[in-house]
Amino acid sequence: MPYAEFKAPKGIIKVSLKLDGDSISEIRISGDFFMYPEEALDELEGRLVGVRADRESLLEALEKFYSETKVETPMIEPKHFVEAIMRSLRG
Amino acid sequence: MKSWRLLPLRVDEPFYSMAIDEAILRLKADGKSPNTLRFWRWRPSSVSLGYFQSLNREVDLEVAKKRGVAVVRRITGGGAVFHDHDGELTYSVVCGQNDVPRDIEKSFEAICEGLIRGFKRLGLDACFSPLNDISVGSKKISGSAQTRKWRCLLQHGTILIDPDIRLMFELLRVSPEKITDKFISSAYERVTSIKRELGEKPSFEEVKEAMRLGFEESFGIYFEEGELSSEEISLAEELKEKYASSEWLMKR
Repeated sequence: MPYAEFKAPKGIIKVSLKLDGDSISEIRISGDFFMYPEEALDELEGRLVGVRADRESLLEALEKFYSETKVETPMIEPKHFVEAIMRSLRG
Repeated sequence: MKSWRLLPLRVDEPFYSMAIDEAILRLKADGKSPNTLRFWRWRPSSVSLGYFQSLNREVDLEVAKKRGVAVVRRITGGGAVFHDHDGELTYSVVCGQNDVPRDIEKSFEAICEGLIRGFKRLGLDACFSPLNDISVGSKKISGSAQTRKWRCLLQHGTILIDPDIRLMFELLRVSPEKITDKFISSAYERVTSIKRELGEKPSFEEVKEAMRLGFEESFGIYFEEGELSSEEISLAEELKEKYASSEWLMKR
Protein backbone atom coordinates (compact mmCIF):
# COMPACT_ATOMS: atom_id res chain seq x y z
CA MET A 1 0.00 0.00 0.00
CA PRO A 2 1.28 3.52 -0.73
CA TYR A 3 2.77 4.94 2.44
CA ALA A 4 4.10 8.27 3.69
CA GLU A 5 4.97 10.13 6.87
CA PHE A 6 4.46 13.76 7.74
CA LYS A 7 6.06 15.53 10.67
CA ALA A 8 3.41 17.72 12.30
CA PRO A 9 4.16 20.26 15.09
CA LYS A 10 3.60 17.45 17.61
CA GLY A 11 4.50 14.06 16.32
CA ILE A 12 4.67 12.17 13.09
CA ILE A 13 1.54 11.10 11.23
CA LYS A 14 2.01 7.91 9.22
CA VAL A 15 -0.49 6.94 6.55
CA SER A 16 -0.87 3.96 4.28
CA LEU A 17 -3.83 3.75 1.93
CA LYS A 18 -5.43 2.13 -1.08
CA LEU A 19 -7.44 3.87 -3.75
CA ASP A 20 -10.42 2.68 -5.72
CA GLY A 21 -10.51 5.05 -8.67
CA ASP A 22 -10.36 8.55 -7.17
CA SER A 23 -11.54 7.56 -3.72
CA ILE A 24 -9.94 6.03 -0.67
CA SER A 25 -10.89 2.38 -0.22
CA GLU A 26 -8.61 1.53 2.69
CA ILE A 27 -6.58 3.67 5.10
CA ARG A 28 -4.42 3.09 8.15
CA ILE A 29 -3.21 6.02 10.23
CA SER A 30 -0.59 5.64 12.95
CA GLY A 31 1.88 7.83 14.79
CA ASP A 32 3.05 9.29 18.06
CA PHE A 33 0.37 11.97 18.42
CA PHE A 34 -2.40 12.24 21.03
CA MET A 35 -6.11 12.04 20.27
CA TYR A 36 -8.85 12.33 22.87
CA PRO A 37 -10.85 10.14 22.92
CA GLU A 38 -8.51 7.53 21.47
CA GLU A 39 -11.28 5.51 19.81
CA ALA A 40 -11.92 8.44 17.49
CA LEU A 41 -9.06 7.39 15.23
CA ASP A 42 -10.99 4.25 14.17
CA GLU A 43 -13.93 6.49 13.42
CA LEU A 44 -11.75 8.84 11.36
CA GLU A 45 -10.40 5.96 9.28
CA GLY A 46 -13.96 4.76 8.72
CA ARG A 47 -15.11 8.20 7.62
CA LEU A 48 -12.25 8.57 5.15
CA VAL A 49 -13.21 5.46 3.21
CA GLY A 50 -15.09 6.59 0.11
CA VAL A 51 -13.77 10.16 0.29
CA ARG A 52 -12.22 11.54 -2.91
CA ALA A 53 -8.48 11.74 -2.53
CA ASP A 54 -8.03 15.44 -3.20
CA ARG A 55 -7.03 18.13 -0.75
CA GLU A 56 -10.38 19.87 -0.69
CA SER A 57 -12.52 16.77 -0.08
CA LEU A 58 -10.12 15.50 2.56
CA LEU A 59 -10.08 18.78 4.43
CA GLU A 60 -13.85 18.90 4.39
CA ALA A 61 -14.07 15.35 5.79
CA LEU A 62 -11.48 16.11 8.47
CA GLU A 63 -13.14 19.33 9.58
CA LYS A 64 -16.50 17.61 9.75
CA PHE A 65 -14.94 14.85 11.84
CA TYR A 66 -13.48 17.40 14.27
CA SER A 67 -16.67 19.38 14.66
CA GLU A 68 -18.99 16.37 14.94
CA THR A 69 -16.93 14.24 17.29
CA LYS A 70 -15.44 17.03 19.45
CA VAL A 71 -12.15 15.20 19.17
CA GLU A 72 -9.04 16.92 20.53
CA THR A 73 -5.55 16.48 19.11
CA PRO A 74 -3.11 18.81 20.88
CA MET A 75 -0.84 20.63 18.42
CA ILE A 76 -2.31 18.75 15.47
CA GLU A 77 -4.95 20.17 13.14
CA PRO A 78 -7.10 18.79 10.31
CA LYS A 79 -4.65 20.16 7.73
CA HIS A 80 -1.84 18.04 9.16
CA PHE A 81 -3.79 14.83 8.58
CA VAL A 82 -4.64 16.07 5.09
CA GLU A 83 -0.98 16.72 4.36
CA ALA A 84 0.01 13.22 5.55
CA ILE A 85 -2.68 11.66 3.35
CA MET A 86 -1.69 13.75 0.32
CA ARG A 87 1.90 12.63 0.74
CA SER A 88 0.88 9.00 0.91
CA LEU A 89 -0.85 9.43 -2.46
CA ARG A 90 2.47 10.44 -3.92
CA GLY A 91 4.39 7.94 -1.81
CA MET B 1 -4.87 20.01 52.69
CA LYS B 2 -5.98 17.17 50.44
CA SER B 3 -4.27 13.83 50.61
CA TRP B 4 -3.38 11.52 47.75
CA ARG B 5 -2.20 7.94 47.95
CA LEU B 6 1.45 7.10 47.31
CA LEU B 7 2.15 3.48 46.42
CA PRO B 8 5.40 1.63 47.17
CA LEU B 9 7.91 1.34 44.33
CA ARG B 10 7.18 -1.82 42.37
CA VAL B 11 9.07 -3.83 39.80
CA ASP B 12 6.75 -5.78 37.51
CA GLU B 13 6.50 -7.31 34.10
CA PRO B 14 5.15 -4.82 31.55
CA PHE B 15 1.69 -6.30 30.93
CA TYR B 16 0.89 -6.29 34.62
CA SER B 17 2.22 -2.74 35.06
CA MET B 18 0.01 -1.45 32.26
CA ALA B 19 -2.92 -3.32 33.79
CA ILE B 20 -2.31 -1.77 37.23
CA ASP B 21 -2.43 1.73 35.73
CA GLU B 22 -5.70 0.97 33.95
CA ALA B 23 -7.19 -0.72 37.01
CA ILE B 24 -6.49 2.32 39.20
CA LEU B 25 -7.97 4.61 36.51
CA ARG B 26 -11.14 2.50 36.18
CA LEU B 27 -11.66 2.21 39.92
CA LYS B 28 -10.96 5.91 40.43
CA ALA B 29 -13.77 6.49 37.92
CA ASP B 30 -16.01 4.22 40.00
CA GLY B 31 -15.19 6.22 43.13
CA LYS B 32 -13.35 3.24 44.63
CA SER B 33 -9.74 4.39 44.24
CA PRO B 34 -8.19 7.63 45.51
CA ASN B 35 -6.01 10.03 43.57
CA THR B 36 -2.77 8.12 43.30
CA LEU B 37 0.91 8.59 42.53
CA ARG B 38 3.11 5.59 41.98
CA PHE B 39 6.62 4.83 40.79
CA TRP B 40 7.65 1.59 39.17
CA ARG B 41 10.30 -0.19 37.16
CA TRP B 42 10.14 -2.62 34.28
CA ARG B 43 11.33 -6.24 34.37
CA PRO B 44 12.45 -7.16 31.82
CA SER B 45 13.49 -3.94 30.11
CA SER B 46 10.72 -3.08 27.68
CA VAL B 47 9.57 -0.83 24.89
CA SER B 48 6.17 0.75 25.42
CA LEU B 49 4.37 1.79 22.28
CA GLY B 50 1.92 4.68 22.04
CA TYR B 51 -1.70 3.67 21.52
CA PHE B 52 -1.71 4.88 17.90
CA GLN B 53 1.67 3.57 16.85
CA SER B 54 2.33 0.79 14.41
CA LEU B 55 4.27 -2.05 16.04
CA ASN B 56 6.28 -2.95 12.97
CA ARG B 57 7.07 0.59 11.98
CA GLU B 58 8.34 1.65 15.41
CA VAL B 59 10.14 -1.27 17.01
CA ASP B 60 12.93 -3.47 15.72
CA LEU B 61 11.44 -6.75 16.92
CA GLU B 62 14.55 -8.75 16.09
CA VAL B 63 16.71 -6.58 18.30
CA ALA B 64 14.06 -6.77 21.02
CA LYS B 65 13.99 -10.58 20.84
CA LYS B 66 17.77 -10.88 20.77
CA ARG B 67 18.19 -8.55 23.75
CA GLY B 68 15.31 -9.99 25.78
CA VAL B 69 13.33 -6.75 25.63
CA ALA B 70 9.54 -7.02 25.95
CA VAL B 71 7.15 -4.87 23.91
CA VAL B 72 3.78 -3.60 25.13
CA ARG B 73 1.17 -1.20 23.77
CA ARG B 74 -0.06 1.54 26.12
CA ILE B 75 -3.60 2.92 26.41
CA THR B 76 -2.06 6.38 26.12
CA GLY B 77 -1.01 8.07 22.90
CA GLY B 78 2.42 9.53 22.25
CA GLY B 79 5.66 7.88 21.19
CA ALA B 80 7.59 4.69 21.80
CA VAL B 81 9.71 4.65 24.96
CA PHE B 82 12.53 2.35 26.01
CA HIS B 83 12.24 1.44 29.69
CA ASP B 84 15.62 0.20 30.88
CA HIS B 85 15.29 -2.05 33.93
CA ASP B 86 18.49 -0.64 35.41
CA GLY B 87 18.29 2.96 34.29
CA GLU B 88 14.74 4.19 34.16
CA LEU B 89 11.97 4.97 36.63
CA THR B 90 8.36 5.31 35.50
CA TYR B 91 5.72 7.33 37.29
CA SER B 92 1.94 7.21 37.03
CA VAL B 93 -0.62 9.72 38.24
CA VAL B 94 -4.33 8.93 38.39
CA CYS B 95 -6.67 11.75 39.40
CA GLY B 96 -9.98 13.34 38.57
CA GLN B 97 -10.29 15.37 35.41
CA ASN B 98 -11.10 18.34 37.65
CA ASP B 99 -7.88 18.03 39.64
CA VAL B 100 -5.89 19.38 36.67
CA PRO B 101 -6.56 22.07 34.04
CA ARG B 102 -9.03 21.21 31.28
CA ASP B 103 -6.59 22.36 28.58
CA ILE B 104 -4.47 19.39 27.50
CA GLU B 105 -1.12 21.16 27.33
CA LYS B 106 -1.73 22.92 30.65
CA SER B 107 -2.64 19.60 32.27
CA PHE B 108 0.59 17.99 31.05
CA GLU B 109 2.45 21.00 32.40
CA ALA B 110 0.67 20.87 35.78
CA ILE B 111 1.65 17.25 36.37
CA CYS B 112 5.14 17.72 34.92
CA GLU B 113 5.65 20.60 37.37
CA GLY B 114 5.81 18.04 40.19
CA LEU B 115 8.60 16.21 38.37
CA ILE B 116 10.40 19.46 37.52
CA ARG B 117 10.50 20.37 41.20
CA GLY B 118 11.74 16.85 41.89
CA PHE B 119 14.53 17.22 39.32
CA LYS B 120 15.45 20.55 40.95
CA ARG B 121 15.71 18.83 44.33
CA LEU B 122 18.16 16.43 42.71
CA GLY B 123 20.18 19.42 41.48
CA LEU B 124 18.98 19.62 37.89
CA ASP B 125 17.68 22.74 36.19
CA ALA B 126 14.75 21.08 34.41
CA CYS B 127 11.99 22.79 32.47
CA PHE B 128 8.75 21.90 30.70
CA SER B 129 9.05 21.39 27.00
CA PRO B 130 5.58 21.33 25.40
CA LEU B 131 3.68 19.26 24.72
CA ASN B 132 4.72 16.46 26.99
CA ASP B 133 8.45 16.50 27.75
CA ILE B 134 10.83 17.78 30.41
CA SER B 135 14.27 18.95 29.35
CA VAL B 136 17.57 19.83 30.92
CA GLY B 137 19.45 22.22 28.67
CA SER B 138 17.86 21.33 25.37
CA LYS B 139 17.93 17.60 26.04
CA LYS B 140 14.98 15.44 26.98
CA ILE B 141 15.14 13.81 30.42
CA SER B 142 11.48 12.84 30.81
CA GLY B 143 8.51 12.24 28.52
CA SER B 144 4.88 11.71 29.47
CA ALA B 145 1.67 10.38 27.99
CA GLN B 146 -1.90 10.90 29.09
CA THR B 147 -5.40 9.63 28.56
CA ARG B 148 -8.72 10.91 29.85
CA LYS B 149 -11.60 8.53 30.38
CA TRP B 150 -14.73 8.54 32.50
CA ARG B 151 -13.98 12.06 33.85
CA CYS B 152 -10.64 10.82 35.15
CA LEU B 153 -7.11 11.10 33.95
CA LEU B 154 -4.08 8.84 33.78
CA GLN B 155 -0.69 10.33 33.06
CA HIS B 156 2.41 8.19 33.10
CA GLY B 157 5.92 8.85 31.96
CA THR B 158 9.58 8.12 32.02
CA ILE B 159 12.34 9.48 34.24
CA LEU B 160 15.71 8.78 32.64
CA ILE B 161 18.20 7.89 35.36
CA ASP B 162 20.89 6.07 33.39
CA PRO B 163 19.46 4.21 30.39
CA ASP B 164 21.42 2.37 27.72
CA ILE B 165 21.04 5.00 24.99
CA ARG B 166 22.65 2.88 22.29
CA LEU B 167 20.20 0.04 22.92
CA MET B 168 17.37 2.59 23.04
CA PHE B 169 18.12 3.75 19.52
CA GLU B 170 18.73 0.23 18.24
CA LEU B 171 15.28 -0.82 19.45
CA LEU B 172 13.35 2.20 18.24
CA ARG B 173 13.19 1.91 14.49
CA VAL B 174 15.89 3.69 12.64
CA SER B 175 17.53 1.90 9.74
CA PRO B 176 20.58 -0.09 10.97
CA GLU B 177 23.09 1.81 8.86
CA LYS B 178 22.16 4.96 10.77
CA ILE B 179 23.33 3.47 14.04
CA THR B 180 26.81 4.74 13.45
CA ASP B 181 28.89 6.60 15.97
CA LYS B 182 27.71 9.80 14.35
CA PHE B 183 24.08 8.92 14.88
CA ILE B 184 24.63 7.90 18.47
CA SER B 185 26.40 11.16 19.21
CA SER B 186 23.44 13.06 17.81
CA ALA B 187 21.10 10.95 19.97
CA TYR B 188 23.27 11.98 22.91
CA GLU B 189 22.57 15.55 21.96
CA ARG B 190 18.82 15.02 22.15
CA VAL B 191 18.50 12.84 25.24
CA THR B 192 20.12 13.07 28.64
CA SER B 193 19.81 11.39 32.04
CA ILE B 194 20.22 12.16 35.72
CA LYS B 195 23.50 10.24 35.80
CA ARG B 196 24.87 12.17 32.87
CA GLU B 197 23.91 15.56 34.29
CA LEU B 198 24.99 14.91 37.88
CA GLY B 199 27.92 12.63 37.28
CA GLU B 200 26.51 10.04 39.65
CA LYS B 201 23.54 7.74 39.69
CA PRO B 202 21.07 8.25 42.54
CA SER B 203 19.11 5.27 43.82
CA PHE B 204 15.59 4.66 42.60
CA GLU B 205 14.28 5.43 46.09
CA GLU B 206 16.14 8.77 46.16
CA VAL B 207 14.59 9.77 42.84
CA LYS B 208 11.16 8.67 44.03
CA GLU B 209 11.48 10.70 47.23
CA ALA B 210 12.57 13.85 45.36
CA MET B 211 9.63 13.52 42.98
CA ARG B 212 7.17 12.85 45.81
CA LEU B 213 8.21 16.10 47.51
CA GLY B 214 8.01 17.89 44.16
CA PHE B 215 4.42 16.74 43.66
CA GLU B 216 3.45 17.70 47.20
CA GLU B 217 4.74 21.22 46.59
CA SER B 218 3.29 21.72 43.14
CA PHE B 219 -0.15 20.26 43.91
CA GLY B 220 -0.36 21.58 47.48
CA ILE B 221 -1.26 18.11 48.72
CA TYR B 222 0.31 15.51 50.98
CA PHE B 223 0.78 11.83 50.32
CA GLU B 224 -0.38 9.01 52.48
CA GLU B 225 1.50 5.81 51.90
CA GLY B 226 -0.89 3.09 50.83
CA GLU B 227 -1.13 -0.22 49.04
CA LEU B 228 -3.08 -1.43 46.03
CA SER B 229 -6.55 -2.54 47.12
CA SER B 230 -7.61 -6.14 46.59
CA GLU B 231 -10.11 -4.90 44.01
CA GLU B 232 -7.37 -3.09 42.10
CA ILE B 233 -5.22 -6.21 42.17
CA SER B 234 -7.96 -8.50 40.88
CA LEU B 235 -8.97 -6.06 38.14
CA ALA B 236 -5.30 -5.72 37.13
CA GLU B 237 -5.00 -9.53 36.92
CA GLU B 238 -7.96 -9.51 34.57
CA LEU B 239 -6.75 -6.59 32.42
CA LYS B 240 -3.29 -8.11 32.10
CA GLU B 241 -4.63 -10.61 29.54
CA LYS B 242 -5.53 -7.75 27.18
CA TYR B 243 -2.07 -6.22 27.32
CA ALA B 244 -0.41 -9.61 26.82
CA SER B 245 -2.57 -10.47 23.78
CA SER B 246 -1.13 -10.27 20.28
CA GLU B 247 -4.38 -8.68 19.14
CA TRP B 248 -3.72 -5.69 21.40
CA LEU B 249 -0.03 -5.53 20.58
CA MET B 250 -0.64 -5.60 16.84
CA LYS B 251 -3.63 -3.28 16.91
CA ARG B 252 -1.83 -0.96 14.48
